[in-house]
Amino acid sequence: MKKVDLTTQLAGVKLKNPVITSSGTYGFGEEYAPFYDPALLGGITVKGITPLPRLGNPVPRIAETPSGMLNSVGLENPGLEEFLRTYLPRLEKIGTAVIVNISGFSLEDYALMASSLPENSCISALEVNISCPNIQHGGMAFGTDPRSAEEVIKVTRKHTRLPLIAKLSPNVTDIVEIAKAVSGGGADIISLINTLLGMRIDLKTRKPVLANTMGGLSGPAVLPVALRMVYQVYKAVDLPIIGMGGISNWQDAVEFMLAGASAVSIGTANFVDPLAPLEIVNGLEEYCRREGYDSIQELVGLAHS
Amino acid sequence: MIKNEKVIENRVLDPGAGIFKLVLRGQTAKTARPGQFVHLKVSSTMDPFLRRPISIAGINRQLGEITLFYRVVGRGTSELTRVKENQTLNLIGPLGNGFTVPRQGKLLLLAGGIGIFPLFSLIEALDTSKVKVKLLWGAENRQFLEAAGLKTLLEKNLDYEVSTLDGSMGHKGLITDLLEYYLQAFNNPSEKESSILAWSAAACGPKAMLQAVTTICRQEGLPIEVSLEERMACGVGACLGCVCTVREASGSLVRKRVCKDGPVFDGGEVVWDEES
Ligand SMILES: Cc1cc2nc3c(=O)[nH]c(=O)nc-3n(C[C@H](O)[C@H](O)[C@H](O)COP(=O)(O)OP(=O)(O)OC[C@H]3O[C@@H](n4cnc5c(N)ncnc54)[C@H](O)[C@@H]3O)c2cc1C
Ligand SMILES: Cc1cc2nc3c(=O)[nH]c(=O)nc-3n(C[C@H](O)[C@H](O)[C@H](O)COP(=O)(O)O)c2cc1C
Ligand code: FES
Repeated sequence: MKKVDLTTQLAGVKLKNPVITSSGTYGFGEEYAPFYDPALLGGITVKGITPLPRLGNPVPRIAETPSGMLNSVGLENPGLEEFLRTYLPRLEKIGTAVIVNISGFSLEDYALMASSLPENSCISALEVNISCPNIQHGGMAFGTDPRSAEEVIKVTRKHTRLPLIAKLSPNVTDIVEIAKAVSGGGADIISLINTLLGMRIDLKTRKPVLANTMGGLSGPAVLPVALRMVYQVYKAVDLPIIGMGGISNWQDAVEFMLAGASAVSIGTANFVDPLAPLEIVNGLEEYCRREGYDSIQELVGLAHS
Repeated sequence: MIKNEKVIENRVLDPGAGIFKLVLRGQTAKTARPGQFVHLKVSSTMDPFLRRPISIAGINRQLGEITLFYRVVGRGTSELTRVKENQTLNLIGPLGNGFTVPRQGKLLLLAGGIGIFPLFSLIEALDTSKVKVKLLWGAENRQFLEAAGLKTLLEKNLDYEVSTLDGSMGHKGLITDLLEYYLQAFNNPSEKESSILAWSAAACGPKAMLQAVTTICRQEGLPIEVSLEERMACGVGACLGCVCTVREASGSLVRKRVCKDGPVFDGGEVVWDEES
């Protein structure tokens, strides 16, 4: 039997396969290690880091929705310094591409993080989160206005030679406009989508379920929206895409690749089935073999032709 | 960590109170400790979507079985009632840290409502010839107490006292009344159970109850472990959905994950009403 080539090249980032795990759903790469060796994945993305430590929002932070969930974690993280001191050294041994997700409240924040995260370490790329719906200022505000989106990427670009992934928010009228803006700002890769702003109300208390009132929707419920956006961005912008949003099995992953994603990222599905990313790697390989593709990358964008 | 376990029993104990007993056979029993929990996939579809955390109430290593008790409160737990014997159930576990199991001394167990369930496994693990145990259990009414396993406690000859909100059994009122009463008795040197210093406490129940009993125990200098509940997504520490706030020795506030760093915490460290 011929071996399917799963390797994936995203701008300067080389992955052993196109399956990554998403920021905020995979901790710092340690929590799922008891289930399988993360080195089997194409890469992992760590929780969003900010310059200073953040306690995040009060609980409840989780609400269930039909085929999905809302979260209002609010970028709880140990801060840049603690990340560099404690977490980064441990990540050196993970054996797969490490993507560091960075978030800020000002352009200076992004600049600081870009210049502080070492270029000669296990870090394969920086994912610039301009799309977090769970914080008051910054975050999504940067990602919903094309000019600020471009500006953030430009500033970050100036302070690092690491490949830059711009992570887009779906909470916009025209995703293509934002994708073009970050491309103009110098992004190497585009990842999408982050969560969709949503809420739920408790019938007993008659109050919002989440302490923060609103939160980000993720999981299978958002898949069609995410897929549509990947499709649109692929058509309009000439950058490799990491597609995500509701992917829970290999069939979903194939759809994203056909829509134009060069790699896929698995988020909420980890919570329900910790083995999902691994099964998706295997399922993608099996699909290619069955359908007669020698390389996984042949699938990318096929839905367009 | 993730496995399918065989359903040996899934049976209603009391239809009125909606309490079920679920026995699972598999690998979890091998390593499970009192106070840990399992994260159950209650449906094979995406509805309900998330797993549900349920405490391990009994561990039988010989038979390779764990016992869970659950109360039907919503979609997930009612879905669970449909699982049939001999089917398999997918779970992640055992998860969390669990209670300290003392080898000697005196242990005061404090349960509020279904908070008794994780304490069952702790009671089971204690060597009662070396550890003196007293259980205080508060609930709505007699029916609930009986449904939730009072008989098991009687069989174990456990020293216990109950309180009910409606007075249908034991003390009419709150568990905190019982607690204050007994702590006073422990403090009284003329009582048999003197020397409050030998006591420590372990508690599980609603947050308000845990806060109240922690305050009382701390006033009397009793160390207390509390098992917290929070809404969970991953159950393994990856999503930061289930945090509580803890004050470290240095005075600074930190978040801890109930699923991974807990669910059992030093009650004295927990920050109960945190605004920001
Ligand atoms: C570590 C841990 C151990 C637990 N052990 C047990 C146990 O041994 N037996 C048992 O019956 N229950 C236990 N619970 C609570 C149980 O997980 C919830 O009752 C269950 O998830 C509710 O699911 P549902 O779909 O039926 O209800 P839902 O429709 O999700 O919710 C119904 C009600 O339950 C509340 N609720 C939902 N999830 C939780 C939660 N995680 N914690 C507290 N309240 C919640 C909601 O606020 C709502 O009011 C435990 C919870 C945790 C975190
Ligand atoms: C609990 C949780 C925390 C998240 N935290 C972050 C974060 O810190 N930074 C970020 O860019 N995206 C974050 N996300 C968004 C995910 O990375 C992903 O974009 C989104 O959930 C959609 O994918 P999914 O449906 O597969 O989960 C988070 C999502 C969840 C569910
Ligand atoms: S439930 Fe995800 S961190 Fe606890």
